[in-house]
Parts: sequence; C-alpha cells; structure tokens
Amino acid sequence: MAADLSSKDIVISSCNLIVRFGSNTEIRFPEINVPAGKHTVIKGESGSGKSTLLKSVLGFIRPVSGTITFRERKADKSIRRQTAWLPQDLHLGQGRVKEIMAKPFQFAANKSRFVDDESCREILRNLGLGDEVFEKRLRDLSTGQRQRIGLGICYLLDKPILLLDEPTSALDKESKQKASRILLEHTNKTVLSTSHDPFWIEQADNIIELD
Amino acid sequence: MEIIDLSWWQLGLSFLILLLPAYILWKYRTGLNKKLLTASLRMVLQLLFVGYYLEYLFEYDNPWINTAWIIVMVAVADFATIDRSDLRRRWSLLVPIFFSTFLGIIVIDLFFLQAVIQLPTLLMAQYTIPITGMVLGNCLRSNVIGINAFYYSLSDHKERYQFYLACGASRNEALQPFISEALQKSANPTLASMATIGLVSLPGMMTGQILSGSSPLIAIKYQIMIMVAIFSGTILSVYLGLVFTNKMVFESTDMLDESILKK
Repeated sequence: MAADLSSKDIVISSCNLIVRFGSNTEIRFPEINVPAGKHTVIKGESGSGKSTLLKSVLGFIRPVSGTITFRERKADKSIRRQTAWLPQDLHLGQGRVKEIMAKPFQFAANKSRFVDDESCREILRNLGLGDEVFEKRLRDLSTGQRQRIGLGICYLLDKPILLLDEPTSALDKESKQKASRILLEHTNKTVLSTSHDPFWIEQADNIIELD
Repeated sequence: MEIIDLSWWQLGLSFLILLLPAYILWKYRTGLNKKLLTASLRMVLQLLFVGYYLEYLFEYDNPWINTAWIIVMVAVADFATIDRSDLRRRWSLLVPIFFSTFLGIIVIDLFFLQAVIQLPTLLMAQYTIPITGMVLGNCLRSNVIGINAFYYSLSDHKERYQFYLACGASRNEALQPFISEALQKSANPTLASMATIGLVSLPGMMTGQILSGSSPLIAIKYQIMIMVAIFSGTILSVYLGLVFTNKMVFESTDMLDESILKK
C-alpha cells in the first residue's frame, strides 16, 4: 500500500537501518514508510526491534548505519515537537495523576495547548477511568490504568504524529475499543504503533512485519 | 581559661578506644577493619601534613597563597566527588565539577569573610582556611549525594526523561524533575543537622572555639554563620555542578553519555 504513495505522502521513512546493542546483538530493519494521516502498525516477535524502531525515530537510540527521514529530511530531535509517544509501561515518578497529566503542558512547546483538570477528567472517563483515579498516585495504579493515562496524555497533546508502543497490551476489550475510537477514528493524525494485538492490528491501514 | 595541650603519647592513647569498634566489626565479619586501618593512617598523615602546612600558611598569610591552597583542596574534592559518585574520571566531569565547586566556595568565602565578618585583610588565613575547609567538606558530601542521585536516577528512569522529550520538552525541561530530586537528596542531611544542632550535636567548630577559650556566645554566633554558609555553599555547588556537567555529558540527541557511569 505504501509503495503506491509519492514521497510527499510519506511522513517517516527508514532505509538500511541497523541498530546494535552491546557487541553481538544487531537488528536490521526492512525499509519502512509511514504514510501521512494513516495508521501504520509494526508487528513482530518479541525482541524483533519494534520498540527500538520507535525510539530510533525519536532519536533516543542512535543507529550504527542507515537513515531515518522525517518529511523528506534527515530526522533529528526536532521531530519531538510534533510527536506524542506512549512507552510500553508508563513510569513517571511519585506524583498524582493530575500533576502528571498537567506536566507536559508546562513545557514551552505545549504552552499554547491549554488543558484544564476537567479536560483531563473527561478524556479519562472516555477511556473508562473514573474521576477518583485523577487524585491517585500513578504508582498505585495498574499497568492498564497507567496505559490509559498515557493514551489520554497523547490525545490531549494533540500532536500530528502519534508513536504508540503496544498501546493495548494491558487493556480489556472494551478499553481497546474506546482507545481505538478516540485515537484513530475521525482524525487525520499519522499513527505509528507497535502491537501483537489482533484487534489493534485490524485497525491498521498499513502493516509492517519485522522478522 | 587555658587550653590543655595534648602530648603525642596522649594522642596515641586515644587510639586504644578503636579496639572496641574493631572487635565489633571483626566479630560480625564486616571486612571493614582493613579499611579502618587505612582510613586511620590516612587521617593521621593528612592532618599532620596539614598541621605543619598551616603553620607556614598562617605565618605568610598571603591571599594568593591562601587561594592556591583552596585550589588544591577543590582539586582533591573534585576527584573524590567523581570517585564516590561512582562516575568515571572523564574530563567532561572533572572540569565542570572543579569549576562549580570552586565557584561555589569562592562566592561563599567572599560573602562571609569579607562582607559579614569583614576581615581586615583579604582572605586572612586564620579565618579563610578553616571556614573553607568546613564548607568544602560539606560540599563534597552533598555533591556526591546530588550528582550520584541525578545521573543514576536519569539512567534508571530514562523512559520518564524520554517521555518528556517526546512530548516536546527541551532538555532542561525534561531534566527538571531529576534536578529537583537530586537537590532534595543533597539538601536533606544539612537541613536535618541544622534542625537538630545544639540538641543532638555540638558541632566541631563550636566545640573547637570553646576548647580554645572563646566565649560560648561567640562560638554560637560563628556556628550559626557557618551553618548558613554550609547550606548555601552545598546547594550552590550541587546546582552549578549539575548545570555545568549537563553541558558536557549529553549527546546532540539529548541522550546521556552513559559511559560516564561505572555500573
């Protein structure tokens, strides 16, 4: 599907990408093209490099060779101004959910996106979390609850590109449907996610399989 | 009131009491007795050296020589900070920590010695050397706590840092929670000793002054001043240490160069 697109329709691409861990582990990635406004899912076995690919796109891991391109230019850290990223497990310190959700909106890059407590509560309700969660400490919540809070932050940041690492791995069927509705439907965002989950993979416009 | 001098044999006698902790440490196989021996020997040799050196320092009482001595003390503290923080001796750490500690000490010295005590001559040895030594000793302890906490926490919780970066935070914005935690950890011991001073402990400077015949009221005033100097000096040097090292140990992608860590 991506092969039919012109280069202008591709937001992120990578070519001959190799990432090395330690002295004897190496991951070679196939050519990857992420089309604008579409949902691309990367699937593959554990250890095949799905999370590594997302981190490489964000510049958190430096590949030993190959290039990552963002909007036809070599990707650099400026991509982070246009992204929201959900890591596999969200550990953001000792704070309460309300403080943690407010934090990204204190950064200069996000100051124009005014988000009040009610907007945070509303998105959490839409993701199936009650208002009481808002006052709790993040460390006291389950992995699934933390995952939904991460998805809520990604939604509220309203960035054009979402990078989601196993976004439904700890969610039940109902929560998966809610997450999919909020993040994928009626939106022109570019979504690059990794997943093992057949439900989430079904929502993809474009699937890339890693060996 | 005249001070009772200690003869060398009396000083030697004081070491006998070490047999008690040495026996406890041996009984529970802590393996610390070798360290105790080395530490005791180092303490005696270093203080003997300093004792003789200070005799000359006080005799000449020259601000340039005093500054040179401060530079030597800061340089030793610089290596000790990096070693005890479990970091590697890299120029990218040695240089910024040296300058941050030196700057912290000089600001505190000039303020307290020249503006508060109002010494008749610049950096008078009798005041400069002991006060600098006390502030620097505490700066070393706080730097070790703060710098170790900062870099190891950043390495252990890197996804938190990366999450903030991926949300569009600048490096400084993403580091803010880690700097806050490091400052809290390094400030806590000094705050605790400030809160209990006089009740739980009689600090060394005050004890020394009283032993040498000063009035307890003068000793207390100096002690209050030195605690303020220590707290300000430690926070200043930890903060500057983090700010200066942060300019040297991050890659262009904002990732920490983890080869500075010993783990």
